[in-house]
This record gives sequence, structure tokens and C-alpha cells, in this order.
Amino acid sequence: MHAMHFVFASRKQIINFMGDIHEKLAALKERASCLRLVREFFFDRDLLEVDCPAISHASSIDQHIDVMRVEMDQNRWAYLHTSPEYKIKRLLAAGIGDCYQLSHVYRSEESGKLHNPEFTMLEWYRLGWEFTLFMEETLDLIRLMLGLLPASFINYRTALKTYAGIDYLHATSSELLACIDKHGQQVSSDAQNWDKETLLQFLMSAVVEPHLGKDQLLVLHDYPASQAALARTRQNGDETVAERFEIYYQGIELANGYHELTDVNEQRQRLYKEQEARKTMGKSHLPIDDNFLAALEKGLPPCCGVAVGFDRLLMLRLGKTALTDVLPFSWEEA
Amino acid sequence: MPQINTNEFRAGVKVEIDGEPYAMVNVEFVKPGKAQPFTRVKLKHLKTGRVVDRTFKSGERLDVADVQDLRMRMLYAEADGAVVFMDDNSFEQITVSPTVIGENKQWMLEEVVYEITIYKGEPIEVVPPTFMEMKIAETAPGLRGDSSSGRVLKPAVTESGAKVQVPIFIDEGEKIKIDTRTSEYVSRI
Repeated sequence: MHAMHFVFASRKQIINFMGDIHEKLAALKERASCLRLVREFFFDRDLLEVDCPAISHASSIDQHIDVMRVEMDQNRWAYLHTSPEYKIKRLLAAGIGDCYQLSHVYRSEESGKLHNPEFTMLEWYRLGWEFTLFMEETLDLIRLMLGLLPASFINYRTALKTYAGIDYLHATSSELLACIDKHGQQVSSDAQNWDKETLLQFLMSAVVEPHLGKDQLLVLHDYPASQAALARTRQNGDETVAERFEIYYQGIELANGYHELTDVNEQRQRLYKEQEARKTMGKSHLPIDDNFLAALEKGLPPCCGVAVGFDRLLMLRLGKTALTDVLPFSWEEA
Repeated sequence: MPQINTNEFRAGVKVEIDGEPYAMVNVEFVKPGKAQPFTRVKLKHLKTGRVVDRTFKSGERLDVADVQDLRMRMLYAEADGAVVFMDDNSFEQITVSPTVIGENKQWMLEEVVYEITIYKGEPIEVVPPTFMEMKIAETAPGLRGDSSSGRVLKPAVTESGAKVQVPIFIDEGEKIKIDTRTSEYVSRI
């Protein structure tokens, strides 16, 4: 009786596996043709493909992005890049001109339906471009893979006012907590101790994001200065905004772009600030990339840059819901 | 009490929040752009079965619930509906109250091994085997012609008191196999 049952179960598993493998192979073929499509897109627009190293002596420093460390030889450690940004900016300062990189990047502790610790990032830079024109080009690249979708634009402050009913600039922590509660979101009891920034980011991801780009592409732009990352800032009435944008489709974040910060002193201050924040959070110390700062010192030409998640685009193109479906092997299977 | 970090959250992990035991049903990693990562968890209360959503900042820690799953054999039911089980290895016996047995009363059969969840030394859940074999205690005889009218199932009550639909050819006293998750008839033994 038991033996019979076992035979039945294992046969079913084999059938399921066959079904999956055919779909997986089809996705991998599509992956290959999309890689080619993207390279043709940039070839036609005269951008140079660059191939900066994944392993580096120093790392990018971001309080919410965790870097993987590799042992080069005994007791000598290096870092895997989380994006080729610092290296490409060194090339830009050296005069390479408009360029792009299509490569694997690595982020520790990021794993889920829409995250994999190793993923494919497409990043490119345009010298002297208007920020708005650059957003349009990013939309064009996304349309290359998702079809001719229309796009709309909304700034960060308006998005929070529209979908969460709160003006982030003047809201206190307790008002943000009340707003989270009003939208039926249950958070950890520790949320009483979350800072304003964390509460804001929770509201954004849990309440606002699901509304973004339901049936068309949505460009979310003009971020709070506190979330500027490597973008330049400007004054907009009572608000200092970062010239940063993200593009969403079906609530999924696809691109993160900046009108790049070129001021070396401001950049140095921001790196120190991130380093300090990591220390407060009890995270590992990361060394400042002096070569990157030296390049800005020498002079980064005014430019816009964007990073696009290639695997997510492929996932949406194929109507899938998890990155696993479009990766040869996800981290769990690798 | 041992603790686990958000990156160790997995479906099936049992934790204690505000003094109450929960099992994780679904764990989702949420990270907007370069922002703070969060872990969104669907939690099932181990006693009430109620499911709640809760979001944690990545890096937060939770207490692991003091929960054990034991395999124990049913010995007998007491007059008040409490059921006595025994561990085959240690011969230790426990009595599980009718409230904890709940709807699973219909699957209680002597000599069958059940999975019992113990929280802080107290039984909080009894899970029957997915497939159980038992006798039909009560069913009307299958009437000729019923199958031609398209009616191929009839109600029956098993020796444990479960109400199931069985094919019309099954008679009282016959033994059948049942899926306890759905109360569906699987086969005749």
C-alpha cells in the first residue's frame, strides 16, 4: 500500500519537473535575445559598452545596501560591486563619454520573489542631458522590453498626498504611524521606535507603491533630499528635492535614475553620513573609495545616470511573477 | 529565549509575539529602491488559527516560540471529551482538552498516531494523519438506478463520527481511506 503510494507521488514529481524545465528553457532563450536587443538599442544610440570589474578594493557605501566580501588570498579581502556606478564615474571623469554596462551585481541579504542576491543590472550615463529627456530615454528602454506602454509622471510628495493622504514634509513620526494604522497596515510593535525616515519608507512601499503604474509606466520623481543617494538636489518652494526618479510598472520598481551629483565635497559628506548611519545600525564598516572621490575631484562632467533591473523587465515581459522563473538558477538553486 | 533575525524567517518557523505563539505562513522580502528593507510576514496564531499580517524592519529579532511537535498514539477518550495520548518511546501520557481537540474530534481513533504541538509544556493542537483508514458506521444501502441518475455519492458516518460522502457501492462495516484535510473519500480498502 505504501509502496504504491510512493510510486504515484514520484511519477507526479517527474511530470511537474518536465513542465517547469520547458518553460525555464524558453525563458532563457528569451533572456538571450533580450540581452542582444538591449545591446542593439545602445549601439544604435552610439553608447559605448564598458565592462568594469565586479571585484574591488573599496565598496559603495549605502546604509541599506549590504556588500558581499570575498577573500582574495589569506586575510586580504575585497568587495563585490552592488552596481558599477563608482567605476563608471571614474571612466566618465577620464573622458570616456556616453556609456553603458550590462553586468551581474551582488547584494547581500536580498532574497525574495523580486530579489536575488546576484542579479543583472543595466546601467547607463548621458553627458550634458536634461533630466526630463533622460527619463524619456529610460522609458524607451523599458518599452523595448515591455511594449509601447504609455507613461505618466508624479512627484514623491504628491504621490504620498494622493495615495496615503499625508504631506511628508510637515508630518511628525506619530502622524505617520497613525497614517500607517489608518491604512490597515500592521507593523512590528517596535515601530514606535522607528525614525521618520523608516516610517516614510514603509508607507511608500506598503501603501503607495501598489498603486504605482497599474496599467501604464509610472515615473516617480523629485525625492526628499534625505533620499538623494547620489543625485543632485535643488530647492522647490518649501522643499529641497533630489533630482532622482524611479520607474514603476504594476507596483514593481524597474529603474532608479539620478541627475548625478558632481560636487566632490557634498559627495564626501554623504559617504561619511552613510558610513555613520551604518555604524549606528551596527552594520559592518565599509572603506571609502578614494579613487571614486579623486575622479570627482578631477571633475565629473554634468550627467544623468540610471540603473535598470534587467531580470525584472524580463519577468514582466514573460508574464511571470518571480525572478526565479527567468534566472538559470536562483540563489536557492545555485 | 533563543531569537531569530528577519533573514532567518521562513514559512513554518514558530515565534512568540506579545506572549502569543504564531507560525509563519508566508514571508515576503520588501525593499523599495535604495530604501529601508522590510520583511512582511503572514502569521497564524497557533491556538486560534487566526491569520494576521505583520511587517518588520529587516534586522529585527523575534523570540522563537517554545514549541515542540510530538508524535503520540491515542489511547482513549474520556467521558468529558478529553483525549489521552501516549508517546511510544517514553510511555509518557498527556490529556488533551476537548477545546484543543476542537473539530478534529471527528478524526479521533484509538491506536492512531497523531502530531501534537506542545507550547510551553501545554498541548495546543492535535493534527490527524493526512490519510486515515476507518470503518463506515452508518450509511443507507445504495439503491439500484442511482448511478444512472448521475447521483454516485451518498452520505455516510464513519466509526470516528466523521460525516463523509462515499460512493453508493460502499456498505456499512466496510473500511475506506479518507483525506482528513478535505473529508473526501479516497478509496475502498
